[in-house]
Order: sequence, then structure tokens, then C-alpha cells
Amino acid sequence: MNIPNPIMGGAIAVLGAAAAYGGSLLPPVPGQQVGPNVFPVLIGLGLVACGIAIACGIGSSFEQPEEVVAAEDGSHAPAETAPPPVPYGALKTAVPPILLLFYALTVDSLGFIPTAAIMVAVTCFALGGTVRAAIGLAIFAPPAVHLIFAKLLRVPLPAGLLPMPW
Amino acid sequence: MSTFIEAWQMVLAPDVLLAILLSAIYGLCVGSLPGLSATMATAVLVPVTFYLSPIAAIATIITASAMAIFSGDIPGCLLRIPGTPASAAYTDEAYAMTRKGQPELALGICLWFSALGGVFGTLSLIIMAPLLAEFALSFSTYEYFWLAFLGLMCATVVARSSPIKALAAMLLGLLIACVGIENPAGTPRFTFGFTDLLGGIEVIPALVGCFAVAEVMRAMSVPEPPQLARRKFGSILAGQWKLTKEYPKQQTRGNIVGIIIGVLPGAGADMAAWVSYAMAKRFSKTPEKFGTGHPEGLIEAGASNNASLASGWVPSLLFGIPGDTITAIAIGVLYMKGLNPGPTLFTEKASSMYALYIIFMLGNIIMIPLGIIMIRLATHILRAKRYAIMPVIVLLCAVGSFATGNNLFLVVTVAAFGVIGYMMEKNGFPVAALVLGIVMGNMVETHFITSLIKSDGSILPFFQRPVSAILAAITIGLLVWPLAVWLWRKRPQQAPAAA
Repeated sequence: MNIPNPIMGGAIAVLGAAAAYGGSLLPPVPGQQVGPNVFPVLIGLGLVACGIAIACGIGSSFEQPEEVVAAEDGSHAPAETAPPPVPYGALKTAVPPILLLFYALTVDSLGFIPTAAIMVAVTCFALGGTVRAAIGLAIFAPPAVHLIFAKLLRVPLPAGLLPMPW
Repeated sequence: MSTFIEAWQMVLAPDVLLAILLSAIYGLCVGSLPGLSATMATAVLVPVTFYLSPIAAIATIITASAMAIFSGDIPGCLLRIPGTPASAAYTDEAYAMTRKGQPELALGICLWFSALGGVFGTLSLIIMAPLLAEFALSFSTYEYFWLAFLGLMCATVVARSSPIKALAAMLLGLLIACVGIENPAGTPRFTFGFTDLLGGIEVIPALVGCFAVAEVMRAMSVPEPPQLARRKFGSILAGQWKLTKEYPKQQTRGNIVGIIIGVLPGAGADMAAWVSYAMAKRFSKTPEKFGTGHPEGLIEAGASNNASLASGWVPSLLFGIPGDTITAIAIGVLYMKGLNPGPTLFTEKASSMYALYIIFMLGNIIMIPLGIIMIRLATHILRAKRYAIMPVIVLLCAVGSFATGNNLFLVVTVAAFGVIGYMMEKNGFPVAALVLGIVMGNMVETHFITSLIKSDGSILPFFQRPVSAILAAITIGLLVWPLAVWLWRKRPQQAPAAA
């Protein structure tokens, strides 16, 4: 998702101003002139300056076009000549972070194996895998990861609906 | 001598040897898969290192990264798709050799000169680090502040994007490092009432998100790379000794350039390879042969990227300033294992330092036999489908980040940084600068505030000591450099208009 430079620069400048303001409200170290307030204020002011520069297009001449694999033989070509992207590619890019949030929200109630199986199957589908591949991966990958992390590395993964025998 | 023997005992422990072997296989496999970088391979490994002994943990990072950097040459050579960014500089040259029917020679050059480059880089680490450590013992907080700031500025200057965007990414990283109570007064800062944020943003989930999750997100929107045709290889190392004798100057220059770029904070193996390939062409007697499958550039750049890998550990071990993104991750592991970077590491934990040198040497030596096996298996491994690998990586990101603190908030952190990393890269912001900002934020602030308290709020002492004045001049020079270049570029455009 490409965001135009003026919008991106503006957002960075606003973030910088908020950081500088928030930082300025912090108290200094008792008995000293400086403290936890100095650094955020300086960073915030720096971000404001950078944001304004980005919004004005300063430095954009240094940027190089993104290179992608385009041809059958794997040769590289500039992004402008790239083939049409994967269908629903923009939507699919949201899949990994959504699945991670899904993991954080459901693993305690569903348990590790069912949650991991859903994650693996959905990612496999999103990347163009077949039903057989997705099911196969969902059956074998989560127990293998559970064995390594829960049994060997002693990470407390929740058992939930499907506890493992080890 | 007893320290050296102790170091060997540490390295020869069964768990360390097993860690070296397994991480070598892991690094070779991950590095050879297009789209999976050496940094990503290292980031995904970090949660596992949490459960290993300090030496085994460091051995894992060193071996996996060295193997992944070499292994990235394999798809570059056979498919014209660099496995890691460090291989991109000479991919066309290696692929041209494959088209000429010399894939064995091209892969042999990559393997042999990578291993030699790695050994030279390690020697530089062994020689340079103790000398610099002695010098660094006289540094005060002023020098440390400028050194850390210089490291951050280097990361912005070497980025292949707008320096302003690189600067913004670095500042954003520093701002992220401000979150939590780890500040001079122990005051909750930017926590917005969330108790999970009191401890600050954990570096490892942030790294895993920026490098691994963002990589999977990118894979979702680009087509699957083409498959490799089945082929059998002849002898991999045949002719390498002849090339070593034929091109000693190129090899030495590649090693030296790699070492210098590695020491430079923020510049990593990819930059070393690009610079060395360009230098090889510039000083070649037959520059017209470059791009047609000529070994000269391949030798110089292949040696350079692996040499930079070891020398990148010099600023990391001495000052806690990462030489590149891999050492940024390694610093996190060093702190986690109680091997806090700094010049005293060389006096107080000398045996650990020797062990680290030995691991580097071992890693580069076993690269040759394991690399040969990997090249022979390449046709099978490179046929692995992305939909079979990426789902497991997403799962490992979730479990691995949770494992670092047994807290589900860390999984949310990984997801958030995945989005941040992906969005930044899409919009031309270098993620490496953000990561360096996060890793070095606390260090820069501590030295800055301590120096200000020492000087009673005055900034003059920051420029009064000789070394700090030199470091300050370089840093400020790098800070105003983008503006100067921008003004310079503007000048000729205005001149004709005025005429």
C-alpha cells in the first residue's frame, strides 16, 4: 500500500509533534534540569522536521525503484514493468497479522493445536496451496512445533481442546 | 593460554557442537530459499537461543547467518533470484556462468571464496577487537554518545532510499525505544496506562515482526518464483585453487573492503558485495567481460560479503553498536545471555571471546563440506513450495515471540511490527534504520542524559574532548549531508533557468 509523500510526511510530523508535547509533560530527574523529558522532545522535533521534508518531497530523488522478479527465467525488472499482481494480493497481505492477533485472542480458550492448525491452513490457502496441502500441513506442523517448544524448550503452550500426549 | 584452552572446552561441549551443526543446516536451507533473508533466518532463531547456553546461543547466530549468506548465492546462480540481498550484486554474473554451462564453477567460487572471506573477516575480528577495546577503555559517556549516534547516522546514509526517510525511520525507532519505564527517572513514558507497555517494547518480537512477518506479508502479494530444473553437478571445488592463485589481488581487495564495510555501523554484507563488485569492475583489466560469466567480480564480491559478516561483530562487541541487522539481533542475544557488549567483555569474559573466534573459524571451515552437500541437494530444496514453508514461519513467529516472555502481548507486538515493517518498506523507509533505532535507543539516551547531568546541562563538553569532537564533526557532517546534496542537485537546474 503506497501512501503519497505529503500524507505520509504529514502523519510523521503530527506524530513527532505529539511525541514532543507528550515528552515535555514528563518530570525531570529530581534535583536535575534534565530527565526522561529531553530525549522524546528532541526525537519529536526531529520527526516534525523529517515529516515536513518528506511532505515537501526533499530527498525523494535518492529513492531507487523497487525491483521485482518478473520474467519466467527469474530476471529482475523495475516495478513499472512488473506483471499483474496476485489476485486479492492487497487483502492477502493482511492475513499474517490478522492470524497473529487471532492466535493471541484464542489460544488460551481453543488451545495451541487447534489455533495453530487454523493459522497454518489459512496461510497455506492464502499462498495458493491446495486443500490437500493445507490439511496435511495443518495436521503435521502444529504437533511438531508443539513438541519442540512445549516438550523440549518447556514453553507453556495452552492445551485447550486438544491436549498432546507428551 | 589457560583462557584459550577454556574457550576450546566451551566450544567442544556437545550442546555447542550440536547447535553449530543444526544451525548450519538451518542457515543453508533458509538462505537458499528465495525471499527468505539471512536476517529473517537469524530473527526466527532467536527465541530458540533463549533456551541454550550462552556460547551455544551465540554459535547458533554466527553459524546460521554465515551459512545463509553463502547459501543465498545458490538460487542466484541457478535461477537468477538472489536468496539473500547480499547475493544480489553478483547474481547476473553467476547466472551468466550457469548459462555458459559452468554452474559448478560459479557455485564453487561462491563457496570457496565465501569461506576464505569468512576466515579473513574472523582474523580481522581477532586482531582489531582487542586493540580497539584497549583504546575504548578511555572513552567517557560523551564519546559513547557520539559513537552510538554516528552508528545511527551511518545507517541512514548507507540506506538505498531517501536519507530523510531513513532519518525518519531511525527517529521512529528511537521513539519506540522511549516507551516504558527504562528511562533516567523510571517514569512511565508513552505507556498510555497499559501495564504491558511498562517494560517497554521488546526488541526481539519487534525484530521478528519487521523481518519475518513483513516478509510473509510481501510473499502474499507477489507471484511464486519459477521452479528450478533438475540437474546433476560435477566437482564443485575443481579449479578453485587455480582461481585463488590467478586472482590474489581481487580476493585480498574483496576481503579488505568487506572488513572495512563490516566495521562501519549500519552497513552490512549486501553493501560490501555491491561495493566490491563495482571495485572489481573498475580495476579490472578486462571490464568488458563483466556480466558475461567472468569469475573476477564473483571472487571479489563473494569474499567481501562473508568477510564483512565477521568484522561487523567488532563494533557490536566493543560498543554494543550493531554492524548490520544480523548483529543487531545478536546484540539482543548477547544481553539476554549476560555477555553485555563493551570493552570489558575482553577482560572479564576473555574465554567467551576466544570461544566466539573459534566458532567463527569452525563455521567458515564446515561451510565447505556442508555447502557442497547443500549445492548437490539444491535441486530438491529449491523445489519446496512457498505455501509449505511460509505457514510454518508464521506459526514460529507466534510461538517464538510468546516464548521470549510467556506473554501473549508479545504476539500482538509481532503482528504490529509486521504491519509497520511492511508499510515502511512499501513506502521507501528502510526497516534496518528503524531496527537500529530500537536496539540502540536506550544506549543513546542513557549516554546523552548522563553526559548532560555530568555537564550540568551544558552541551559544550560534548565537543571539548578530542575524540568526541572528531566523532561529533563526522556525525554532524552525515546529518547535514542529505541537505547539502539536495541543494547541490538543485543548483544546476536553476542555473540554466536563470541564463
